[in-house]
Amino acid sequence: MSKQTLLKPNRRDILKYGVASTALSMPFVSRAWAQTVELNMLAWYGHGEPDVVAEFEAANNVKFKPKYYAGGDNMLALISQSPPGTYDVILSDAEFVQQLNEAGYVDELNAADYPFDDFLFDEWKQFPGHWKDGKLFSVMVRCGHLGVSYNTTAVSAEEAQSYKCFWKPELKGKVGHFDWHLPNLGQMSLLNGNASPFDIDEAAWGKVKETTTSLRPQVGGFFDYGGTFNGLKNGEMLAMAGIGDWITGVLERDGAKVASVVPKEGGIQFTESWSIGKGSKNADMAKKFIQYMLSPEGQVHSARMAAYPGFAVTKAGRKALNEKDPKEAQRTGQVDGAANDPVTLIKEGRIKYRGVPAQQGLEVWNDFWSEYKGS
Amino acid sequence: MAEGQRRDFYAWFWRAPLLVWQLLFFVVPLAFMFVMSFWLVKNYRMTPAFAFDNWAKMLGWNIFWSSYAYTMALAVAATILASVLAFPAAYGLAFRVTDTTRRWALFFLIIPFFTSYLVRVYAWQVVLAGNGVISAMLGWVGLGPISLLNTPIGTLVGYLTLSFPLVVILQTISLASIDKTLIEAAHNMGCSPLRTVFSVIIPAAKVGLIVAGLFCFILSFGDFVSPYYLGGSKPPTLSIMIVDSTKSGQQWPRAAVIAVVMILSLLAIAFTAVKFAYRRRG
Amino acid sequence: MNTEKATSWALYIYIAIAFAFIFTPIIWSFIFSFNSDRFPSLPLGSFSLKWYQTILSRPEVLEAAWTSLVVAACSSLLSTFIGFCTAYTDYRYSFLGKQAYLALAMLPPTIPLIIMALAMLSWLAQIGLSGQVVSIIIAHTVLGAPFAMAVIRLRLNDMDPNLEAASWNLGASEWRAMREVVVPFAMPSIIAALCLTAAVSFDEFAVAWFVSGLNKTIPVVILEILQGNVDPQINAIGTFVFVISITLIVVAQVLMLSKGKKEETAQ
Repeated sequence: MSKQTLLKPNRRDILKYGVASTALSMPFVSRAWAQTVELNMLAWYGHGEPDVVAEFEAANNVKFKPKYYAGGDNMLALISQSPPGTYDVILSDAEFVQQLNEAGYVDELNAADYPFDDFLFDEWKQFPGHWKDGKLFSVMVRCGHLGVSYNTTAVSAEEAQSYKCFWKPELKGKVGHFDWHLPNLGQMSLLNGNASPFDIDEAAWGKVKETTTSLRPQVGGFFDYGGTFNGLKNGEMLAMAGIGDWITGVLERDGAKVASVVPKEGGIQFTESWSIGKGSKNADMAKKFIQYMLSPEGQVHSARMAAYPGFAVTKAGRKALNEKDPKEAQRTGQVDGAANDPVTLIKEGRIKYRGVPAQQGLEVWNDFWSEYKGS
Repeated sequence: MAEGQRRDFYAWFWRAPLLVWQLLFFVVPLAFMFVMSFWLVKNYRMTPAFAFDNWAKMLGWNIFWSSYAYTMALAVAATILASVLAFPAAYGLAFRVTDTTRRWALFFLIIPFFTSYLVRVYAWQVVLAGNGVISAMLGWVGLGPISLLNTPIGTLVGYLTLSFPLVVILQTISLASIDKTLIEAAHNMGCSPLRTVFSVIIPAAKVGLIVAGLFCFILSFGDFVSPYYLGGSKPPTLSIMIVDSTKSGQQWPRAAVIAVVMILSLLAIAFTAVKFAYRRRG
Repeated sequence: MNTEKATSWALYIYIAIAFAFIFTPIIWSFIFSFNSDRFPSLPLGSFSLKWYQTILSRPEVLEAAWTSLVVAACSSLLSTFIGFCTAYTDYRYSFLGKQAYLALAMLPPTIPLIIMALAMLSWLAQIGLSGQVVSIIIAHTVLGAPFAMAVIRLRLNDMDPNLEAASWNLGASEWRAMREVVVPFAMPSIIAALCLTAAVSFDEFAVAWFVSGLNKTIPVVILEILQGNVDPQINAIGTFVFVISITLIVVAQVLMLSKGKKEETAQ
């Protein structure tokens, strides 16, 4: 008898809670029907954070759904595992645009939509791989330099003028790697004196492997963005290969004793470009967003991004940055005529674009990187 | 006949859900992963094939085997550490406290399962770092600084974070369910407490102790968070290799090879352990 | 006698140390969540609620919390249903291939999550079910079912087999006996299984990370912060999740205890 009375209210409870939970879920269901456009973004960490996109979201009634990756290989993997049309806007490392295009992941863009006339540097308008057969597939939005990143209490500014400082005995177990083969091996290639660090023949590649392997005893760990960040900040790592101001800049703003320089062997430029994903249902809004990111306001947001700073690529963007945050502009050399003006550095030949290995294939470099990590 | 059919329907109604669901979403995915290990990757795209390239590449790659050995060694170390370190605690909880205390202790041991493992690992990062909590505490007594982060010890701390509470729980339960008269008999016969532990209690609780260790091994062997965020991925364990392979170069078939080897190893070890657990003494 | 007492005390101290190890990360995470430092270390900064304000101001965290709740609710219902069916089958029937059947039921926890993630994503992508909330629900149901089965099976152990038979003899159909006898008897364990599987789902990150696509759950957001800008938001989210999970468990415990008491008085 008591069992039955126990049971019956139960069933009613279930109904009650069922109704209640349906009611609760209503606002969420109805929200999906509201006019807000959802833009799916695939990007490096930080590009979809409020400090960059909040204004655009508010002005256009858009909501970004970001998915973050680390490294171009990772980006390609993520796209290929998702149904076509999943991502509306794709931020790609410039050297991977070609492969995005070859795989048919991105749509053609109309060059007239973007302020190419206002670019700081002519080469950036025609960035390798962004155009194919006269068609535009991606627009460069920002860039930055990779060099020697170090803890200023452990490495002097003078020592940091060469990648050789990574081999300093005092740094044993305190040199970290950003866990991606391209920037690290590129730096080793520069140290070996290769003028085009990513276009090297077998002999030079063998030397690069040798140089890299000799660094292994110094290495304290392999890190993703978060780990790199943490490792430098808490002093676990005193020098970092494969990164640059994009990470130390954030820590500097926070008062940490770290810095990045382009050493005498030269530095590497990372380049980031926006594309529109093929099959996007919001291509118009995606275009509008890319236009926004290339507008002076967008360029300022991009240059001052909380996750990691970058250089403005348009003249108007640089001007706006100098007005809005002259300190940051000066810190990063984004002042016309400055000695460390990124454009000047390229013209002087001290900066090479990060590229994909021209003579070996990505897989070969990647496999070596795995071997290096595991050794 | 109709009655029988209704019976059958009733029986199958309860039997079917597991069969359907686990076949469709457990057995088939694993089988598919095995098939995928024979596929090829061209231009970042997987193409169905029946090729032994991935197997040849992975099994012929010394890095794979050194990573295998490293992963195995760490997991075994974690299992031994957890089992040995948990035993006195489990012994105390099983024999030296009241039932109420034991129930509360078990309740507190369950709590870690409801805090995010990732959050706990992040907290360890801060605690273990060179300028972290442990270092600072050592500094008060004039020692240090010492950093356990990005070392195998860091990884082991993570593994234990994951499995230690479970091992204590399982050991406590299996010790508490030993027939108490057995222990009293040993005691009355003049057996020293330590000897009682080794020749009466441990053999009697063998199954539970081994199962506890096995769980610790499984959890540690497959964890990719601790070796990455506490061990600095130096060198990568097999589970990190899986993540790496899926991330870079779209090498899913290779990741599948690693996964299949891991599963086979786990099955072999689990089988041996269970067999050992139920082996008659003699 | 004295040595006996001394060993006891030594064991108590040892247990205290073991608990200290277990609770070290939990307590520090709690402390750091109220600490103003961007990069926490000793000495602590000042008391601050800013990490809680940060997460509450981020719509994606709230959205992830909602996704987590939906996934936990759906997958716990499904896996408890499957677990109940399996436990009942094991309790009531013996049949050819039962060993294999039970092996199938208990195997999932022995497969490392990262491998489950790999297998799940590649298979779900093949059948067009990847990158959706449904994908996470499917995967978490697989992971939760064995736990639900174990909990319910344990309870059914205590059920007198004659109870069900008696109700058939009184003319009840099997379905009715199930409804009026078996389910009520198993109810405490069913609730426990619901809570347990919900908690399993709520904390699972590896499989969810792989299959979720753009639909992140809370643990995936935590993982992304850990891979991204690692700030103490992690602790604030962790503390929130902790409070929710513990509330769930305590409520379940209280429900079960009061049920048990009522049953006792009824008998």
